[in-house]
Amino acid sequence: MVSPVLSRNNVKVFGRGTQPMLFAHGFGCDQNMWRFVTPAFENDYRIVLFDYVGSGKSELASYDPERYATLDGYTEDILDVCRALDLREVIFVGHSVSGMIGLLAANRAPELFERLILIGPSPRYINDAPDYVGGFERADIEGLLETMEKNYIGWANFLAPAIMKNPDRPELTAELEASFCSTDPVIARRFAEATFFADNRADLAAVQVPSLIMQCSEDIIAPSEVGDYLSRELPGSTLQTLRATGHCPHMSHPEETIAVMREYLQAPVDGVQSAAQIG
Amino acid sequence: MVCRALPKSAEVAVVGERMTSDVAGLDPLLDEAPCGFVSFLDDGHVRVANRTLLDMLGYSREELLDKHIESVLAVGSRIFYQTHFFPLLRLHGRANEIFLLLRGKSGEDVAVLANAIRRERRGEWVTDAVLMRVIERRKFEDALLEARRVAEEATAAANVQRGETENANALLERQATELADTHWKLVIQALELDKQRTIAEDANRAKSEFLAMMSHELRTPLNAIGGYVQLMEMGVHGPVTAAQTEALGRVTRSQQHLLRLINDLLNLARIEAGRVDYDLQSISLNDIVLATLPMIEPQIAAKGLRYDVEVPLTLKAAADREKLEQILLNLLSNATKFTENGGSLRIEATVAPESEDFVELKVADTGVGIPADRLEHVFEPFVQVESSHASRVEGTGLGLSISRDMACGMGGDLTAESTLGVGSTFTIRLRRG
Repeated sequence: MVSPVLSRNNVKVFGRGTQPMLFAHGFGCDQNMWRFVTPAFENDYRIVLFDYVGSGKSELASYDPERYATLDGYTEDILDVCRALDLREVIFVGHSVSGMIGLLAANRAPELFERLILIGPSPRYINDAPDYVGGFERADIEGLLETMEKNYIGWANFLAPAIMKNPDRPELTAELEASFCSTDPVIARRFAEATFFADNRADLAAVQVPSLIMQCSEDIIAPSEVGDYLSRELPGSTLQTLRATGHCPHMSHPEETIAVMREYLQAPVDGVQSAAQIG
Repeated sequence: MVCRALPKSAEVAVVGERMTSDVAGLDPLLDEAPCGFVSFLDDGHVRVANRTLLDMLGYSREELLDKHIESVLAVGSRIFYQTHFFPLLRLHGRANEIFLLLRGKSGEDVAVLANAIRRERRGEWVTDAVLMRVIERRKFEDALLEARRVAEEATAAANVQRGETENANALLERQATELADTHWKLVIQALELDKQRTIAEDANRAKSEFLAMMSHELRTPLNAIGGYVQLMEMGVHGPVTAAQTEALGRVTRSQQHLLRLINDLLNLARIEAGRVDYDLQSISLNDIVLATLPMIEPQIAAKGLRYDVEVPLTLKAAADREKLEQILLNLLSNATKFTENGGSLRIEATVAPESEDFVELKVADTGVGIPADRLEHVFEPFVQVESSHASRVEGTGLGLSISRDMACGMGGDLTAESTLGVGSTFTIRLRRG
């Protein structure tokens, strides 16, 4: 019997390899964001894509505000997908907040993961003076929430949910699919709060699975201070700073992103681990 | 197409070396169009900006070129750009009607709606965006959002109230259940009490029947004692010495005392057992007084009490002669007992002051009196009024109880008034005969 998780999380599996690469999208997006990098790994790996519940084409009916109030619920989604497909030795690739979600999943079930690739991760987005620079103040996040609110429920999208339910207007539905990756303003806001108000610094020390931190240049969401902090505090981690700027190198600079990932994957796990430990 | 002369200087077109090659000469129409225009690369660097946008932000063209697009966004919009806007451009090539807050040079925010398209131009991927200020519309949106917030709060409050109502309902239901439980417990208790009352009544009736039977059984040998004593006194069985006569007198007094006690008991028992029949006749009260007084006169005389009688000859009551005599005798006996030597008694009969249909027969004394709080209790069985002035008096304590029962049995009543140290008045009230 096919697990209900597969349709719930809109899971897609393809590729000719056997070792799974599980790609987890970040806040504001869905699995489509990976389409510039997955072709590079199709030949050697089994690619697994999914949407978190509440994002993309996941089943919105499965959205539970309690479960997804914190990153724990999203962590459960990762583990659910792994178990539904019986994944082993997973190479986890997570963008932005999914970097932290991947770490939490690896702490819950370290036996499932071989290594973690974290693109623009941050254990805490809000500054914690005087010692920690996350890049934002609380008021900045409130500004984001306001901007989101305007875009999700402002006049432009005010009627979108009603239109989406109208089967007589398929062209509107198509238009909407080309819009933001989550169309539910309440879910999007909750995901934003779970993401930007999270503080996972205390979870870092317990991580046993080796990881690659892909730090972009000029990334306002995960500034270089955050990459340095993670590199210091995350056991078994390797920090790699990209030339790519912004927060989405897998979309803005897919070639460099692919190259860095490949290089990391070619190093043996043990080597990665011991090198990181020595470093 | 409207042709426009170029501005005096060529500055408009020369926004940077790249600019010239990029958009060979920025059309004055575009430069001064009533909306902002900006082109930037995937890495965010600004290539082209029109005059309208520069004015909006307060930057000179030189200041803006090569700046990162994020640097002209408010912080919240920067995050939104990275998490939503850019992925949308990258995945779909365009984004329409995106709300953004631009951050001007002096730090003020400018709200705009952006339409953007990402396309390849001369080997580079650039995004062209038009930015339209939203001032009135933003106010409208703010009002809409505020209205929505108010509605949500109202809904939440309503939900809370509904929750409270539901809680209250649940509480009420619980209380109703508890009340129902209590009700049933009370019903069961009432049934139990009723059962116990029936048992008690049965026991009481059995007691009364036993008393009636025993009184009767006791009276028979007492009468025999009285009879034989009388025969002996009369010398039927031979001569009687003075000492024997004295002894027989004591036996007779004791026998009569016992007989009175037993009669009281028997009467109470009969009344309680509901076995008393009243033979009501029209009886002259004067006759009753005349028949009763002699029985008590020796005691009255012995205590040196004075008495007077005022009973109209014509006054009649509907009464059982024997029972009325018994009541009157009881009242006179009490009055004598509780009145100090030298006091006085008065027997008086009248038509009841409040009703022509009733007569009242009163026995008043100048005795010790009864405290007000004890006045009603004297009619209870086995009660004797304690008094510091009177030594303990003999009797069963049944006299007044039986008397009232009998007065009631005849359709009347027996009541008392008293003032401590002044005296008491007992009133037999009867239907007029």
